[in-house]
Amino acid sequence: MDFIYSVKGWYRSRGGMFWSLAFPVILILLFGAIFSGVGSSKYTLYIQDQDQTEMSKGFNATLNATKLFNINIVKTNVNVTSFIKEKNIKSLIVIPKGFEQTIKNSFMNPSARVNLSFYFDPSEQTTTQVIRSVISSILQEMNKNFSQGRTIIGVSEISTITENFNFIDFFLPGMIGFTIMQGAIYGSIERNTKYRKDGILRKLLTTPITRTEWILAKMLFMMFLAALTTALITIIGILVFGMTVNITPLAIIILIATSFLFSGMGMLIGRFVKEEETADTAAGAISFPMMFLAGTFFPLEQMPQFLQTIAHILPLYYVNEGLRNSMIYMNQNEALINGGVVIVFAAVFFIAGVILTKWKED
Amino acid sequence: MIEQRFKCPNCGEIASFYGDPGEQMVVSCAACNSKGRITIATDGQNNNYAIEVSHLKKVYGDLTAVNDISFSVKTGEIFAFLGPNGAGKTTTVEMIESIRQPTAGSIKLLGKDIKTQFNDVKEKIGILPQEFHSFERLTVRETLVYFSNLYKKKTDVDEIIQSLDLTSHKNMLYRNLSGGLKQRVGVAISLVNDPDIIFLDEPTTGLDPKARREVWGVIAGLHRKGKTVFLTTHYMEEAEYLADHIAVIFKGKIIAEGTLDDLIHNYGKSSVLHIKKCKNAADVIEMLKQEGYDEVSSEGNGDIAIKIDYKERVLEILSHLRHDCIEYESLDIRRSNLEEVFLRLTGSKLTEDKQ
Repeated sequence: MDFIYSVKGWYRSRGGMFWSLAFPVILILLFGAIFSGVGSSKYTLYIQDQDQTEMSKGFNATLNATKLFNINIVKTNVNVTSFIKEKNIKSLIVIPKGFEQTIKNSFMNPSARVNLSFYFDPSEQTTTQVIRSVISSILQEMNKNFSQGRTIIGVSEISTITENFNFIDFFLPGMIGFTIMQGAIYGSIERNTKYRKDGILRKLLTTPITRTEWILAKMLFMMFLAALTTALITIIGILVFGMTVNITPLAIIILIATSFLFSGMGMLIGRFVKEEETADTAAGAISFPMMFLAGTFFPLEQMPQFLQTIAHILPLYYVNEGLRNSMIYMNQNEALINGGVVIVFAAVFFIAGVILTKWKED
Repeated sequence: MIEQRFKCPNCGEIASFYGDPGEQMVVSCAACNSKGRITIATDGQNNNYAIEVSHLKKVYGDLTAVNDISFSVKTGEIFAFLGPNGAGKTTTVEMIESIRQPTAGSIKLLGKDIKTQFNDVKEKIGILPQEFHSFERLTVRETLVYFSNLYKKKTDVDEIIQSLDLTSHKNMLYRNLSGGLKQRVGVAISLVNDPDIIFLDEPTTGLDPKARREVWGVIAGLHRKGKTVFLTTHYMEEAEYLADHIAVIFKGKIIAEGTLDDLIHNYGKSSVLHIKKCKNAADVIEMLKQEGYDEVSSEGNGDIAIKIDYKERVLEILSHLRHDCIEYESLDIRRSNLEEVFLRLTGSKLTEDKQ
């Protein structure tokens, strides 16, 4: 019941609606547009030509002739997998040894076949798409010429899955974590300052509902908000930015822990700063710097070393990292560690919040 | 053997006595030594007191907010706790509601000690906290359903809405209601569990006179339904209009207690006859003094005030005026009120902030 009325009250509060729905949508669209790197018309492509024949050079020349790519040649003795990791390569094509030979053989041997290897970064949607279609049309043309359309040359695609995702991938989990943080802190502050001033807490104290029941009911509402925020931001990520976002069980656990963590933080702020407006300001003073320092919008690597050190003591940092690792990078082991830290933070803040705040008056 | 508390009719001291149900005994008061006969109640419940407060004390650092007060509220009466701001009214009522922890003393609601059994009485009490403000974005009806759901006992919310004359506002958001309506909703919230005792902490503070009268009507209605109402107020008219029993609290102490008539009789002046714009006022005052009226005074402008001990005296004075062909503009007789009682008891006015 409390849940339904919480939803009603929230639904009727324009401010609440704005901050939990409209604001993140605007931000994600805005930042997404700014940072997702639309507008670069030339794509960087690496090629390792292990064949070094007329045929393979011809293929390279054709690619070059499209004028779509900055082509970089990778030496044949280089291990492409580690090369990609090291240099953060987004797209790389390997022309295998025996490329020309296989094509020549195909006149006699109809089952002869050779595959190019295309290493691509799944987060680089546009680049991958362009390269894929260019290669496929070149190969189609070649196949037609050599064998009247029978496929001799194919492509095997290999996802690089490196940590080189682009900004929107970085930004989306941060946006989710940040929005849930804001909702939880401010909601919790309202309950611990405004409701106290308005006598609602005193009133509740004289009714049969226990404080535990009430807090859990409110947490249920916070989780509903968290789920809504996550769903909305994820859907936008998928539909507007064509991202691959995974809602993993671990991510859900981190989101729940995040709700508890920042509700606890809000309780503590409300405990020490009793006046609602002042408490809101205090919350802003804590959450906004944390938002920037914890790598919500910008990767920590871009920040000075001392700020990176600070980030490692901020709970939001672990929320951001955990969500990114779990939802985008699919690096569940790392996410598990981040999630563990978030849960510990959540336990400490929430338990301290519950213990240190009370409904009773002095 | 059961414990039962009795209040000394002489000094107001409350003491516990032990006996079998129905047993009669002669006891003496520990405070004033007067003797009296008591009967232990047969139902084991504490006779007919809804609220019993004994030696209640609340100390904040150097400040003693409530200083050793004792009183009892009978079932079904409206009990007004009257005092100026800061006298200790809210501290007291919030200790009774278990919102604040007393420094010392005991409180029983419906015979149960709230220190250990407060959860047992939660279903039976309804409170309106001071300056209560409900959830802004729920409608009147939703607000009542919300609070109603917190209790096991179910009541008909729509009936409460109707009885408090809120039907035409039931779908309005709480935040859009006027001050008077908000307070009426506050009273309605305190009724959703059909409580035996209702606590209203300054229910009309900040309301305009019309809204105040509306809330008074609602409170009087609760009384008619047999509810016990504990009311705190700093408006003496409110206590005069509503209360069966009044306790005047000042600087943490109860300085007077009783029915309105008791208080006026014990602490007020008797009635006063005012003669307005009397010609030759000085001569008239002289004449009345010679006739044996001790408390005659000039109030300037030809106005004269005469204390009246009993009503026949009014007729005597009028016949004197007629006999001597004294001309005056008007006459009126004013009864003492709580304001005067308070002034007399404390030397200060009750409602300094009154408009």
